[in-house]
Amino acid sequence: MLPFASSGSKVTPRHHVSGYSNGYPRGKTFDISPHRYQPRGTAPTHRRRTQSLVRIGIVAAILFLLLLYTFTRGSSSSSSSSVLSVFSLGLLSSGGADFQLETVRYHDLSNVQGTARGWEREERILVCVPLRDAEAHLPMFFSHLRNLTYPHHLLDLAFLVSDSKDNTLGTLTKNLEDIQAAEDEAMHFGEISIIEKDFGQVVNQDVESRHGFAAQAGRRKLMARARNWLLTAALRPYHSWVYWRDVDVETAPFTILEDLMRHNKDVIVPNVWRPLPEWLGGEQPYDLNSWQESDTALTLADTLDEDAVIVEGYAEYATYRPHLAYLRDPYGDPDVEMELDGVGGVSILAKAKVFRYGVHFPAFSFEKHAETEGFGKMARRMDLSVIGLPHYTIWHAYEPSVDDIKHMEQMKREQLAQEQAEKEKAEKAMKLKESFGDATGQWEKDKLEMQNIAVQDKKKDTAAAPAAVGNVVDKVAARQEQQEDGKT
Amino acid sequence: MARPMGSVRLKKTNPVTLAIGAALCIFILYFLIGSSTPDFSASRKATAASHPLSPPTSPFRKSTGGKLKPPPVAHYDLNNVTTTPQPLENRENILLLTPMARFYPAYWDNILQLQYPHELITLGFILPKTKEGNEATRELQKRITKTQTSGPEKDRFKSIIILREDIDPPLVSQDEKERHKMKNQKIRRAAMAKARNSLLFSTLGPATSWILWLDADVVETPPTIIQDLARHDQAVMAPNCFQRFWNEEKKEMDERPYDFNNWQDSATALDMAKKMDPDDILLEGYSEMATFRTLMAYMTKDDGLLHEEMPLDGVGGAALLVKADVHRDGAMFPPFAFYNLIETEGFAKMSKRLGWQPVGLPNYKVYHYNE
Repeated sequence: MLPFASSGSKVTPRHHVSGYSNGYPRGKTFDISPHRYQPRGTAPTHRRRTQSLVRIGIVAAILFLLLLYTFTRGSSSSSSSSVLSVFSLGLLSSGGADFQLETVRYHDLSNVQGTARGWEREERILVCVPLRDAEAHLPMFFSHLRNLTYPHHLLDLAFLVSDSKDNTLGTLTKNLEDIQAAEDEAMHFGEISIIEKDFGQVVNQDVESRHGFAAQAGRRKLMARARNWLLTAALRPYHSWVYWRDVDVETAPFTILEDLMRHNKDVIVPNVWRPLPEWLGGEQPYDLNSWQESDTALTLADTLDEDAVIVEGYAEYATYRPHLAYLRDPYGDPDVEMELDGVGGVSILAKAKVFRYGVHFPAFSFEKHAETEGFGKMARRMDLSVIGLPHYTIWHAYEPSVDDIKHMEQMKREQLAQEQAEKEKAEKAMKLKESFGDATGQWEKDKLEMQNIAVQDKKKDTAAAPAAVGNVVDKVAARQEQQEDGKT
Repeated sequence: MARPMGSVRLKKTNPVTLAIGAALCIFILYFLIGSSTPDFSASRKATAASHPLSPPTSPFRKSTGGKLKPPPVAHYDLNNVTTTPQPLENRENILLLTPMARFYPAYWDNILQLQYPHELITLGFILPKTKEGNEATRELQKRITKTQTSGPEKDRFKSIIILREDIDPPLVSQDEKERHKMKNQKIRRAAMAKARNSLLFSTLGPATSWILWLDADVVETPPTIIQDLARHDQAVMAPNCFQRFWNEEKKEMDERPYDFNNWQDSATALDMAKKMDPDDILLEGYSEMATFRTLMAYMTKDDGLLHEEMPLDGVGGAALLVKADVHRDGAMFPPFAFYNLIETEGFAKMSKRLGWQPVGLPNYKVYHYNE
């Protein structure tokens, strides 16, 4: 009720009385030409005196500040650069005057320990990716990278490009520069380092030579060196986590960093499988380097030479170790943990302090192991937790081996032969059809006609003799018999 | 007040106003120059990183305005990082690493007089988070600020990294007596090894050629120590560590061997190790555990050649020049019993396992602080 009543009548006309609503005086003070020339009146003498006094005061203050400034700066600056700066207004002082060099950095390592909810504490992760002739895998890898849900600005990327004969470096650089120049700021990553170092590998990187037993020890030691070079060049005092990822992972959850971090372990790995063609069973455990130690393996280790390296997954060294890969249940709880002694390198999340304390990828035989398996062993030696997730699976790309390729060629030939045979068969059937025709339709027509006749006959029967009915029925039966004969 | 522009105004301008204007101009110019301090030589500026997220072995440009751009894609070609017997001629970068529990002014004075171009030297420190460590950090920072901002140009180092440990201090006391008790040695040295590794692996940059380990209580080295040790082109190079003291008998200053961790293995020591539990460690310098190793500390000869070499199986950390490649290959200071050896001695063993032979110079001396 009140609002209606008050509107209008109770509003006081505030601007009517004073008359200054638009800033101009109203009434008699209105002037038609406020900007016309008026001679400058001389200021009173006392005002001029105070003005000059104020000016003298300002000059004195400035001179004093100037002197103070020159003296405090002392002789630290060389005169030549100062002179140059004067003439160039300080803009040409080699590199621009909009920055200063910061030479001292202070970091408290107890602030970068790594916690279960790192993304909330802005914990930085160093993502390490060793590369060699990996151009073909890069598009897939970058699609994974872009999709990672961990805040990109907290991810520092480090790549090691070694002994590559293809354009890995060029493709990598272009992809990374595109990401950093992207309009979407959420895409930009933190520090990006591309490290080049050739180790002069003699071993080929193709599947056959890569997994051949004889080449393993040497290959693993070399791979370990590469990983260490990458890590030592890229690890910084502000990293809380280090994530190792192979470039040829085909399928992995976008939340993998958070998923692994949530367990808050020193070293943690997921299960790694790979998809296979149907004729090979559809899928297969891939990474056999994640395992628990067994007594058999320990006994075996004691009998071996100091420089020998036990490699897993080869008949030559039967270790009977429980493998993370074989314990997978596709419907199992992905949070189930399993203690490990050796780990595989496809996807490792470790706290940065693990590497800072000195755990690395042994490029020598450490307790008869090298590279990632030696890394797991060394972490255990320093009482750090090493965990695997048997039911949390990522998928490695399938690269057919030479045998597989042979087999697939054979299968292709068989398939082609089969297709040919089927085609011929179909053609034959077609010919038969054409030459003999299809009688089925005719039979149906005839049957219908016969039934019509029968109905008509029945009508007639009501008037005619019953003997005629039997005659018609006989006729129909005879036709049906004929039909069946034709089919057989 | 509205008034006409033009010549009339200039004519009427007070000379005092002009003087003030001129003074102000000079003043502004002076500030423009001031903002481009401190003066770094061109080479320093060239090596500076453009973003704070960068290897700590380089200084970075402090952006004074505007939004920070995303970090650039940085390339580092480690094939081009050389480690040669002529580090000076090839302008090789040195990383000088010091685990520090106490700050000795003599240590700082000593590294200031190093005759290797300071713009090629990066310093790295790691200090424990104890009361003592805080005190040392304060004093260290004071000296650093003095050198880096107001000291002479040639004294300033390329960059400096100060780290604080994340390791719980194993012992309260850093007293000489308590520190050297045998049963405390393994825990103490394991913590020490972790501190060394933390310092090493978070500061080692992609441009580093050599790493000079120098303990905080080494107060006297020859000023050319980097060139002298690098000259031998050895992977791991240890000078002999001595200590100066007042000899009461001779009534004069004298020196005595200090660091006993530089040694050549003996059959006795190897035998002892064989019988030991793999988690136990062999220690040097304890009468309860006579190893009969050949100690470099006692191999010094007054008339010996300064640059005489001897191969070593164990090294001490007092002063040690290491090729960056050795650490990059993975050689670190084991904080656990590695072949029954720990810390710097374990490091020597690990280097050997990786194919790098440590070498010592029995007649080339550095001096330890006398407590």
